[in-house]
Amino acid sequence: MAVIPEIKETTLSLNAIDKTYDMGVEQVHALRGVSLDICRNEYIAIMGASGSGKSTLMNIIGCLDSPSAGAYYLEGENVAAMSENQLSEIRNRQIGFVFQTFNLIARASIFHNVELPMIYGGIPRGERRRYAEEAITRVGLNDRIKHKPNELSGGQRQRVAIARALVFNPSIILADEPTGNLDSRTGGEIMGILDELHAAGQTIILVTHEEEIAQHASRVIRLKDGEVESDLRVDDTDACIAPSESLHLVGGATS
Amino acid sequence: MRFALDLIESFRMAIDAIRANKARGALTTLGIIIGIVAVVLTLTAANGLRDTFRQSFSAVGSDVIYVSQMPWIMMDDFFNYRNRPPIDLKQARELESKLQGRAIVNPYLGERRDAKYRSEIMEGVQIIGTTEKQLHMSSAVPATGRFLQPFDVTYKKQVCVIGSEIREALFGSANPLNQMVKLGRTEFRVIGVMEEQGGSFFGDGPNFDRQITIPISSFVKAYGGRHGRLNVDLAVKAPSSESMEMVEYMVIGEMRNIRKLRPTEDDDFAINKLDTLIDTFNNMMGVVLLVGLLVTSISLFVGGVGVMNIMFVSVTERTREIGLRKAVGARRSSILFQFLFESAFICLLGGLIGILLSAALTAVINATLMPASVSVLILVIAVVVSLTVGVVAGFVPAYRGARLDPIEALRYE
Repeated sequence: MAVIPEIKETTLSLNAIDKTYDMGVEQVHALRGVSLDICRNEYIAIMGASGSGKSTLMNIIGCLDSPSAGAYYLEGENVAAMSENQLSEIRNRQIGFVFQTFNLIARASIFHNVELPMIYGGIPRGERRRYAEEAITRVGLNDRIKHKPNELSGGQRQRVAIARALVFNPSIILADEPTGNLDSRTGGEIMGILDELHAAGQTIILVTHEEEIAQHASRVIRLKDGEVESDLRVDDTDACIAPSESLHLVGGATS
Repeated sequence: MRFALDLIESFRMAIDAIRANKARGALTTLGIIIGIVAVVLTLTAANGLRDTFRQSFSAVGSDVIYVSQMPWIMMDDFFNYRNRPPIDLKQARELESKLQGRAIVNPYLGERRDAKYRSEIMEGVQIIGTTEKQLHMSSAVPATGRFLQPFDVTYKKQVCVIGSEIREALFGSANPLNQMVKLGRTEFRVIGVMEEQGGSFFGDGPNFDRQITIPISSFVKAYGGRHGRLNVDLAVKAPSSESMEMVEYMVIGEMRNIRKLRPTEDDDFAINKLDTLIDTFNNMMGVVLLVGLLVTSISLFVGGVGVMNIMFVSVTERTREIGLRKAVGARRSSILFQFLFESAFICLLGGLIGILLSAALTAVINATLMPASVSVLILVIAVVVSLTVGVVAGFVPAYRGARLDPIEALRYE
């Protein structure tokens, strides 16, 4: 994991990740030797058909799952060897999830939904209030702070989810089909917010099957049968020195 | 800090969850309410019985030893006791002189006779022949008139002191003093009325209010010839309750001497104490309490199963929420506590309602059946029991929730 300071810091680095599910008689190889380096402030789209292993890859990057083999360094720490409680802490501090189905707690107010990660992170009340209000303002919902999720539209709910994801200033925002349940106009709004966050320096990983959504990213990684099929850089502004394999692919695509 | 916040969040979500499902919560608490009412009432009833028992013997001094031919509570074949030689007046006087200055000895004899005043008759009244020393043996004193005096005993006076119930039955509102009552075939002049002592716990047990006391000498004269043999009971009062044990040894030693027992022979008399009676009562109460608590535990168990069931529902319907919480950093313990709090709350709520309900029922019991009151200890027990049921019943569902795989949980429909 060679870090070249004058270029960019590597945020996460996957090295020969395998994930095998034991389905009784046969073993399913969801991921086969996936290696990736992702740098700070990259905007990445992970694409692939269903069964390509993109969900599995997302779960591993999100520290919801551990790889069967290989090393996963997140902010310099080997996450692959961590205990469940350590993984909770990593998810809490480093990862901000945005789900297709929003996954807000229906009984709790917008404010409480957004402050939830900080509660589990042990942040005192006063700071929680400040950060949560800040995050809610960033997604433009400061007038809905006391509302319940069922009083909001789908787009607004997804904004709450984004506020929740970014409130703890995570290393990565991991958005799994963030516009999947929205119409194209609201979907566009949500992508607009993600673009803004990226412009402000946030590392974002999108998981999607829509080409249109993937267009927002500056690098598109395609998976097929548990392997990286292609790793294309749309524009080089965010690029870091990546492993030779992906350089090769980038070169192949542009020629 | 992190753990404290976890707990606060768990607490808050638990309350939210209960508030969101009021009807379900109310129905679930019902089982716990019934269980807690059963616990509180069982304990309260046991306390009430014990108090009633103590009260009915309050007139019997706890520092008095009773020496009799037979024990109050027979652990052996009745005929083994029956064949013992009776204690006669001569032995009573001997013990009295041996213990002179160390303890007060008061002999007494009892018979049942009809008591008659003019046209009023009370059947089978307990007639006690004793001496003026009876006054040392209990806290009872005459309400009007006087008690026996030494000269009543010495001169075999035909006088009597009556209990409060006797006065009521025979004299009504009339003044009984100096009236003649017929006890069996002999007439006695009423010289005093004892103050009310309160009823007896046992239906046929000693009831001082339904008793007539006469000089022991007059008793022997009036009723002694009938069976030929007298069987005297002796009350021995120790100078203090601390010296009771010593006095008991002394009494046993002297009685063995007086009755000329060889060292190898067993005592052929019985030492009776209020303590023995209380012990026996407590043993009996223990069994009653045990059965009561067994029934109670069954109802609590049923209530607990209800809570467990609802908690499984609660965990299942919030599977996605659990997944989300885990995704944003909740540990297993956070989830575990969230659901444990919820079930503990439901049960605590049931417990508190149960306590209020039992307090109301206790007031009714107090007014109708027997003196009863809910003590602080019982309240503490009720709260602890309901919390315990909550935690125990909630544990398996909460643990299952805590163990959920976040990926599976997030995908749950």
